[in-house]
Amino acid sequence: MDVIEALRMSWRSITDHKLRSALTTLGVIIGVAAVIAFVTLGASLQADIVQTLAGDTTDVMYVSAESQTEGEIGVLPSRGQAVFTDRDVDRIRRIDGVENAVPVGGFATAGVAHGDDTVGRQFVTVTTPGYFGVNDQTIVAGRTFRSGQREVVVNQQAARMFRGNVSVGDEITFTRAGSGEELNATVVGIAKSPDRSGRVQSLVGDDRPAIYAPADPYYERTVIAPSTRSEQRVYAQVLVRVDDVERIEAVQGRVYSYLTQRSDARVLKAQGNQFEVLTHEQIVDQIERISATFTAYITGVAVISLVVGAIGIANIILVSVTERTREIGVMKAIGARRRDIIQLFLLEAILLGLLGSAIGSVVGLASGALATAVIGLPLEVRPIWFVVAVVVGLLVGIASGLYPAWSAARTDPIEALRHE
Amino acid sequence: MGDGTPSEDARAEAVVSLTGVYKVYELGQPVPVLDDLSLTLAEGSYTAIMGPSGSGKSTLLNLIGCLDAPTAGIVEIDGRDVTTLSEDERATVRGEKIGFVFQTFNLLPRLSSLENVALPLVFRGVAREERRDRAAELLERVGLEDRMDHRPTELSGGQRQRVAVARALVNRPTIVLADEPTGSLDSETSGQILDLLDRVHAAGNTVLLVTHERTVAERAERIVHVLDGTVESVEELGGRRTASANDRWT
Repeated sequence: MDVIEALRMSWRSITDHKLRSALTTLGVIIGVAAVIAFVTLGASLQADIVQTLAGDTTDVMYVSAESQTEGEIGVLPSRGQAVFTDRDVDRIRRIDGVENAVPVGGFATAGVAHGDDTVGRQFVTVTTPGYFGVNDQTIVAGRTFRSGQREVVVNQQAARMFRGNVSVGDEITFTRAGSGEELNATVVGIAKSPDRSGRVQSLVGDDRPAIYAPADPYYERTVIAPSTRSEQRVYAQVLVRVDDVERIEAVQGRVYSYLTQRSDARVLKAQGNQFEVLTHEQIVDQIERISATFTAYITGVAVISLVVGAIGIANIILVSVTERTREIGVMKAIGARRRDIIQLFLLEAILLGLLGSAIGSVVGLASGALATAVIGLPLEVRPIWFVVAVVVGLLVGIASGLYPAWSAARTDPIEALRHE
Repeated sequence: MGDGTPSEDARAEAVVSLTGVYKVYELGQPVPVLDDLSLTLAEGSYTAIMGPSGSGKSTLLNLIGCLDAPTAGIVEIDGRDVTTLSEDERATVRGEKIGFVFQTFNLLPRLSSLENVALPLVFRGVAREERRDRAAELLERVGLEDRMDHRPTELSGGQRQRVAVARALVNRPTIVLADEPTGSLDSETSGQILDLLDRVHAAGNTVLLVTHERTVAERAERIVHVLDGTVESVEELGGRRTASANDRWT
């Protein structure tokens, strides 16, 4: 039978029951919309990460000692165990291919005061003067701090944090959390955050107010270094910059073997912890993996709603077959073969599936666009999703229509003609 | 012909022929419905079948209409043995050679008159233009040229049955099977439909009418009385003879 004619008949059967058809397709609409929305969101997140991190500061590595929990990001600030001694940092700096290495540690304050304005609960990053060079942070005003001096650098966000902005030469006072010890410092420089934007910056902490202080004299966390048997400062992270990006993997290997074979950290670290030496690229990979896992998980949930939608279509086509038993009998009497009947009902199911996936795609794209706009991500849309959505609609239609259509086709015309 | 047993001469012009047909339904135990029934319908003839309910006349109609196959015996349509055909093959024979008119019209509710009439041609793969032309022509013949785009619910009972008659003729059938075609109509409309069937017959079509009303049956050339699954008697009414096959109405 003529497909156009079959389409017209199936379409008419759908439009004659508008409410029923709408409710039937709702399951598929929700399923497809959810998949498209979450995939859009996931892809936009990944695109943001790739845009902001890839190709940017790829010559930096982050060294830390992590407890091995699957899927966690090792570079987030103040995570990991403080195990890297001054000697370790010094030795890493001298590894072939390393341009510079700086320790990164920190302590919490109960509050930071500037003039008569106090801001509570700030974290002070302690490091060495080389930090800003390694981390690609420009000092926009003043200069970097000197070791052994009561000097600090704040970033622009921290400078704006106080009423009356902080400028170079101002005095600030911070209160060490726990001991309540008051520490004075002169602000000698204002640093700009690295030129990274978007979500990753907040993941790494770059867009938050930050105060950088020299380890000497502000950092009090020390251990007896196993190698020298002397008291040394100990840090949770080491930031390493390589002199040649091309050789970053080799350097990574050398840093790792130093850590595992000769470092203080190898003795100091807890049994279950492992060294992480991560390049930017690997961090991007990690974040991408996490967001892909997340997307897959949500998509899985959405697929369940697609299955429910397919069952809904199957159900309504079965009802439709029962309702139209007599019509099926008539069509058979006037010459319809099994395949004509199958075609009619299968087309009806496929039309419902396609309709659902088409509407679902639009709804999903709109939700995804809205969500990315709210979060502030670049919208990432790939046309292939819509091709997939149409194919899914087709498959849902076929899967849900096959049995009802088959059962319609095997209707006995004599019985069907007697059916009221 | 006339005694229900096909002779060599009758077979030549027979369009439908049943020879020694049995039909047994298995309803827990075998229930014989048709018992050694033989019947021949000549081309261009107009036959009425009468019989009490349970006599087997519906089953007989189903066999001639290729909706069912006999348990034993031979059913031939246009000289072709349709006894052993598969379900789809029977559907094809129905589409090509049979025109059904039902008591309850049995039009498809979502299709217009024109689409209903054209539907058998859809299943035969006739091109759209040709389907429409042919359906429109037949609707004109039954006097419904101004109701072509109406759906069945927008038509009266008599109009619906006229659409159904047009649909039965659209495939230029070998035989038109009318099963109680006036059973759902008032007497005046019934008369109109029977007049229409007369015209269909006069134009050269072979018509088989099943009814339990004597007055309706008397429109035919002969009445076949069926009882207990076999032909009890054949009553020749004489009178009208068919026109030649050359000026078939359709």
